[in-house]
Amino acid sequence: MRIIIPIKQVPETSNVKMDPETGTMVREGVESIINPLDLYSIETGIRLKEKYGGEIIVVSMGPQKAEEALKEAIAMGCDDAVLLTDKFFAGSDTFATSYTISKAIEKLKPFDLILCGERATDGDTAQVGPGIASLLGLPLATFTSKVEIEDGHIKATRLIEGGYEVLNLPMPALVTVVKEIADPRLPTLTGKLKAKKLEIKQWTAKEIEADPENLGLKGSPTRVVKTFSPKVAREGKVIEVKDEKSLNQAVDEIIELLKEKAII
Amino acid sequence: MDLKEIWIYAEARGGRVNEVAHELLTRALDLKEKLDNSIVSAVLIGHKIPDEDKHELIQRGADKVYYVDSPKLKDFLVEPYSKVLTQLVKKYTPEIIIAPATTQGRTLMPYTAVRLRTGLTADCTGLDIDEEGNLLQTRPAIGGNIMATIKTATRPQMATVRPHSTRPAPIDEHRQGEIVNVDIQLTQEDLPTARLDFIKDETQGGTIQDADVVVSGGRGIGKAENFKIVYKLAKLLGGAVGGSRDVVDRGWIGYPHQVGLSGKTVNPKLYIALGISGAIQHLAGMQTSDTIIAVNKDPDAQIFRVSDLGIVADVTELVPALIERLEVAKNEI
Amino acid sequence: MKYNSVTPQIVDELKQIVGERNVIYDDAEAMEAYSHDEVAEKHYAHMPDVVVKPTLAEQISKIVKLANKYKIPVTPRGAGSGLSGGAVPVYGGIVLSVEKMNRILEIDTQNLMAVVEPGVVTNEINNVVKEYGLYYAGYPMSVETCYVGGNVAENAGGGKAIKYGVTARYIMGLEMVTPEGDIINLGGKRVKDVTGYNLLHLMVGSEGTLGIFTKIIVKLQPMPVATADLLVLFNSVKEAIDIVPIIMTNGKIIPTSIEFMDELSFKTSCEYLNEKLPYQSAKAMLLIELDGDNMDIIESQYETIGELCMQNGAIEVYVADNATTIERVWRIRRNIAEAWKLVSPHQSLEDIVVPISEIPTFMDRLAELQAKYNVSIPCYGHAGDGNLHVTPVKDPEWSLDKWYDTLNKLLPEMYKIVGELGGTISGEHGIGHKRKAYMPLVLKDTEIELMKRIKKAFDPNMILNPGKLFDVE
Repeated sequence: MRIIIPIKQVPETSNVKMDPETGTMVREGVESIINPLDLYSIETGIRLKEKYGGEIIVVSMGPQKAEEALKEAIAMGCDDAVLLTDKFFAGSDTFATSYTISKAIEKLKPFDLILCGERATDGDTAQVGPGIASLLGLPLATFTSKVEIEDGHIKATRLIEGGYEVLNLPMPALVTVVKEIADPRLPTLTGKLKAKKLEIKQWTAKEIEADPENLGLKGSPTRVVKTFSPKVAREGKVIEVKDEKSLNQAVDEIIELLKEKAII
Repeated sequence: MDLKEIWIYAEARGGRVNEVAHELLTRALDLKEKLDNSIVSAVLIGHKIPDEDKHELIQRGADKVYYVDSPKLKDFLVEPYSKVLTQLVKKYTPEIIIAPATTQGRTLMPYTAVRLRTGLTADCTGLDIDEEGNLLQTRPAIGGNIMATIKTATRPQMATVRPHSTRPAPIDEHRQGEIVNVDIQLTQEDLPTARLDFIKDETQGGTIQDADVVVSGGRGIGKAENFKIVYKLAKLLGGAVGGSRDVVDRGWIGYPHQVGLSGKTVNPKLYIALGISGAIQHLAGMQTSDTIIAVNKDPDAQIFRVSDLGIVADVTELVPALIERLEVAKNEI
Repeated sequence: MKYNSVTPQIVDELKQIVGERNVIYDDAEAMEAYSHDEVAEKHYAHMPDVVVKPTLAEQISKIVKLANKYKIPVTPRGAGSGLSGGAVPVYGGIVLSVEKMNRILEIDTQNLMAVVEPGVVTNEINNVVKEYGLYYAGYPMSVETCYVGGNVAENAGGGKAIKYGVTARYIMGLEMVTPEGDIINLGGKRVKDVTGYNLLHLMVGSEGTLGIFTKIIVKLQPMPVATADLLVLFNSVKEAIDIVPIIMTNGKIIPTSIEFMDELSFKTSCEYLNEKLPYQSAKAMLLIELDGDNMDIIESQYETIGELCMQNGAIEVYVADNATTIERVWRIRRNIAEAWKLVSPHQSLEDIVVPISEIPTFMDRLAELQAKYNVSIPCYGHAGDGNLHVTPVKDPEWSLDKWYDTLNKLLPEMYKIVGELGGTISGEHGIGHKRKAYMPLVLKDTEIELMKRIKKAFDPNMILNPGKLFDVE
């Protein structure tokens, strides 16, 4: 099997700090990591490779620094990596990103499967995976929690509202996976050494034969026109429970609020 | 001057229109008021969807319902649905399309938007129209730490909207509208994917994104077994159960229940956070809930910053007392 | 020892010294927090008669003089995160909490030192000096809660001692109040000093029995910017421990920390965390951290160490060099205690030290003890410096009586083994009153007698933290 896994390098935001005055993220000292949700697509790919053989190629669009993310994927067990890096890619929205990555994947043909994380934790759109599938005319399964291969088809179990849906897709196909699918492994020393030796391919707009009209800021139909801080703080009441009396008072307050909001 | 059409994607599940479509009508009616010379249309794709559902869309605000029916469209599959939506857009050239940010909407819309070579904004919490008649789409970014307002240069302007971020549009029984049946031919080539099965997940107890009440547990509940009291409270309030990333990672509850940046975003009428400290990654997933009640042992917990009512207490002490009181109250009724 | 009780009149005098707000008296609920530290067993707790929260050295001086006058014990207290009962007022009397003395007074970038009050949370020093690219390397594991004053009193260690040493290395000077109420200064902003006995370092680790610190001068150094961790799985404890000296001799690398986890420890923690690493066949794990100012050097160092581990029979070497993976490997180590608390809340967290080379022998003997007493004893800690947190855990089925009965036999036997192997009974938690009965197992009578004489010389009325380390008549 030949599997392609697009990944993204994102700022480590699990403990993000905001500047209360400017309302922007404090970027200083913020590390760049593989999008945590891409670890699941990488793990899924490696497990399929372990079962069916083949190779995995990771692809990322980003600055030179994104090479680190690709190396980490190699250290986990992927085989080859391509970095799409070009000043013309800067400012891409989800359309331009989908377009750029799909052009790179065309150059990597043939392949059997494309695996994507559910979404990136910074942009949080979940649009690039489906976008790539559509541009390449591939069948698509999103929010997938289980992937099996049967008779040259992909059996994808999707986590949807109220339960799980099972789809049967012909290959090649694109599957986006959720966290439930597998626990990602840690990179090993052997993997790290392999990653260090590997020369990562670098492709620019020219190499993927992309139409400049569809790239970067210029190729992006959406524009951010304004950003602002959300109002989160509420003037909430806080009751401290110390004894039986304050416990009862706390329960009273909750019941009252539930009644006021017509929950009970 | 041509009429500008504001479309909502009226999501069908199991052959019926899902009520999330009625919430989108509220959004669309608001935009219609701000956008000169515009009408609201609903797009409904499926098979044998009852007429009453189509009429209800009209009664709740749709001027037109475009209905595409085929046995091939009985269940949602992105490839044929996207073909249908693409052809409808090409035929009727809407100005705006909004869809719910459900698993269906978040699959169909990106697949279709790139085909139409147009922009799409995910998971909006606010929609507005600027002076030039463009759609302003506001959504949280960087884990809910900032809000970004986005414009789309191309047409149609497409957006997905968080379920439960507005109330459903009310019914007006006298409202008139037109149901337009559109015939779109589908070949076998349009149907590469087959739907084999659907397995209902009883433990989801209604999905957390659809529920009016979500009761979530975090590490402060102490241990996996204590989720029993979380479930019990949720049941008494007719709600669904959620969990923080920490407890999902620990396997105390499954991933479908995870609320937060790497899980699901919810905005129910009432969110109860039990033993959740309120890391940014969690707040991002629940802070837009109408009412928030938090229980945590630590008086300095971040969760109290976003809660309407905070109780500094041990969850295992407070919740059983609350359950007892609710049960008494229930028996009295 | 006989002490007088605290009368309302004495409380009034205390109020005059520190102000009414800074005295807690006749309020059992508020004083409860000052009756214990982090030692779980309730019988090590004791209620104070009164709690005072001074803000100035002069106030402490007056309190101590008052205590000498009325012969009332004074127990100094930091954050209460200790693990030896050291801050517990075993004879009642006054608990003197430094919680309000929590200012960072000076960051001296010329001399690479900081002057802080004793109630500063240790981590806070690093939060502040970070801006200057500096770093305070005195690092106990409880860095986010403990106070620097307590660190000095206990000579706290932690996970980074192998490279950075323990707290003592970073203490350059102290302003303190003696047990008779005099304010003195020891050491200062000097790198070298051989003027007389080294009283400064007699104070470090004195467990609050020789003086109360009011100002502390700590040494700073450039902040390391690159970090990586190796999580190494082994087939046996021996293979894991054998590698520790090899890293330093053959590898010529001093890691920041080498943490050891035995099978009971990591399995319980991994199950608790739902960590799915393939650890099932492993009998021991090492968590090896490297830090420095250049990632390339760190990379070549972890390659060297990793290869040495593989050559010496490691099952697998995992590499963590970013926030995601570093957090994941440290989670296993950090959650051992919490995971075991779920198994049973009753456990005795011990703090033994043996020469690194004796760890495998000690682990064998520990296995014999586990079998003999039928008690689970997870063992983890700082292999790099031979400091192990051996933690007998009560079987949930057992009665408390049976548990304490067993523990009272098991601990002396274990400490005896430790002594035979050239080790000692506490590496970083201290003696307090939890371990004082075991001092004679590892120290000679003459040595203990000398310590008692020092105590008498400093504190003739025996009012400062009595009942700790040893009993003095």
